[in-house]
Amino acid sequence: MREAMTIQEEIIKTDVLCVGGGIAGLMAAIRAAELGARVVVAEKGNPLYSGCGRMGNDHFETWIPEVHGEDRDAWIDELLGTAKGEILISRDILRAQFSKAYEVVQLWDSYGIPMKYKGRWEFAGHTFPGRPFTHVKYEGRFQKKILVKQARNRGVEIHSRVMIFDLIHAGGAVIGAIGTNTREDKVYIFQAKAVLLGTGKCSRLYPSLTPGWMFNDPHGNVQSGDGRAMAFRAGAELQNLEMPQRHIGPKYFAKFGQATWVGVVRDWYGKPAGTFADKPDRKYGDMLCEVNKLAPEQYVRAGKGPLYMDCTGISEEDLRYMQHWFVHEGNSSLLDHMQDEGIDLRRHPIEFATYPLRGGGLISANEKAQTTIRGLYAAGDEAYGDISAAATFGYIGGENAAAYAAGTTEADIETRRSFIEEKKSMIDRLRGRSDGPDWEETQAALQQTMHDYAGHVRNESLLLQGWHHLRRIRDKAEATLLARNPHELGRCLEVLNLLDLADMTFVMALDRKETRGLHVRPDYPFTNPMLNQAHIISRRNEKPHLQWRPY
Amino acid sequence: MPPVIDHETCTGCGICVEICSEDVFYGSQPGEIPTVTYPKECSHFSGCVSVCPVKAITLRIPLPMLLVYKPAADELQTPY
Repeated sequence: MREAMTIQEEIIKTDVLCVGGGIAGLMAAIRAAELGARVVVAEKGNPLYSGCGRMGNDHFETWIPEVHGEDRDAWIDELLGTAKGEILISRDILRAQFSKAYEVVQLWDSYGIPMKYKGRWEFAGHTFPGRPFTHVKYEGRFQKKILVKQARNRGVEIHSRVMIFDLIHAGGAVIGAIGTNTREDKVYIFQAKAVLLGTGKCSRLYPSLTPGWMFNDPHGNVQSGDGRAMAFRAGAELQNLEMPQRHIGPKYFAKFGQATWVGVVRDWYGKPAGTFADKPDRKYGDMLCEVNKLAPEQYVRAGKGPLYMDCTGISEEDLRYMQHWFVHEGNSSLLDHMQDEGIDLRRHPIEFATYPLRGGGLISANEKAQTTIRGLYAAGDEAYGDISAAATFGYIGGENAAAYAAGTTEADIETRRSFIEEKKSMIDRLRGRSDGPDWEETQAALQQTMHDYAGHVRNESLLLQGWHHLRRIRDKAEATLLARNPHELGRCLEVLNLLDLADMTFVMALDRKETRGLHVRPDYPFTNPMLNQAHIISRRNEKPHLQWRPY
Repeated sequence: MPPVIDHETCTGCGICVEICSEDVFYGSQPGEIPTVTYPKECSHFSGCVSVCPVKAITLRIPLPMLLVYKPAADELQTPY
């Protein structure tokens, strides 16, 4: 084994550290720098092509006065009444988002991200026929490149290939973070007055669409819930981790964009599965995909499968329209694949699948993007997702982080030197081992356990058994996991974060004694209206502490 | 497995290595044709395909990821 403390170290001091260079992190960086803060973005990949918005997006949820009328609250009420379904966050947060989203849309347009189509606001998809439109169509193919440029123009310092894996805190406030380079053996210590987490979703907690093939996930595969895990370890509150999510999309090429498809969800015989569409309609698509993402799976189980997204009968003009937006949604690889395989959407319905379970929950953050710890902010899928929310709360979070930083004295990171050395020793151990499970083996064990014991059906005895088994895997991973190089070190740190989130998922699933959404507890078969609240977990005295709080 | 680099066309500029967030090209050396070290970590978003200035990269979609589509009426076959 290598000696501890041999790893190279660099200390970087800044006002605001943005962890993750996705939409939220870049918007926070742009705003904080604009307000005069020194800003650093640390991104484990490259912000030009990272996050859910890496290759583009085509829908931005927003109210626009010249389209919807001046009464913003009426539009928000409509949205909450129909399009949103059950929401597991505070309505105040949604109101804060839509009070600012239009301003952000105008900002993006001024940056050079085309928010208008043929010179006008274009709305399509994500809306029930006859109801007010909710998502403006925009040409987001180059959004990441443009946001990176805007950040650089404002003096933001960007560190690619730096994976932050723990927050440094002292006296109840976050004062920095520790990261590792994924290409060389080097540790970065960031001393920051404020930190904004924007590390995205939580993929890879459950098996992917393809058994044994871990990287087939529409969300991207390297979003491993890092922010959630490190926020928890630093004492922040997380919520609803036990409420898993499932998405819908093309089988087996897992990609987002159900609202970009112009078609009707039909069975093999051509019968529509829902009641929202009977012919391809570029304005509305088929809202069945949003009302019931489980439909493909239910059809198969009922002996009526498969289900297809059927674009046959589409006009040439609408086909070109859909293909245009597929490119902006980031689905050019899907278009290329169809072309290579001779798949013609005018002739071939595409099977849709309900994608597997994925980790849910978020970091508790208020309408200012503040978490429950001083100096720590969270935005994007980390706190409350979709492009509009990521951009808007990134912007809001950057503003508040900069203001907080301006009123805070720099804390000396060296007061936490023993914590830093402990983390460096952990990295040295991971890198020093020559025998033991690697990250892939460990993740296979984790996913198998999550699927079998915290999956589609849960009950007390199953959850208790699963939690005990998970603990064994986690203990073994901590004691024996090996990283052959800096790249695999990053993957190992991701898996350790996932193990923490898996542990919390078991604890919270045990404590949620009801059935709600995809949290199915046959030992508590009914939804309990008394639990229409946020289920909160935090760490107190090294133990998980659970509570319920009204949204 | 993806991505596939055409060794005749590739100039070794390294842009794909720079931008890939999964770092499937880990360990590639500057100025040389990139090595696809971790092909199974590819997310199939075509970032590398789109940035390559000489179009030397294609994605080979792995068999488990092939799209499933319903044959058109004139393509339907009778299994027995």
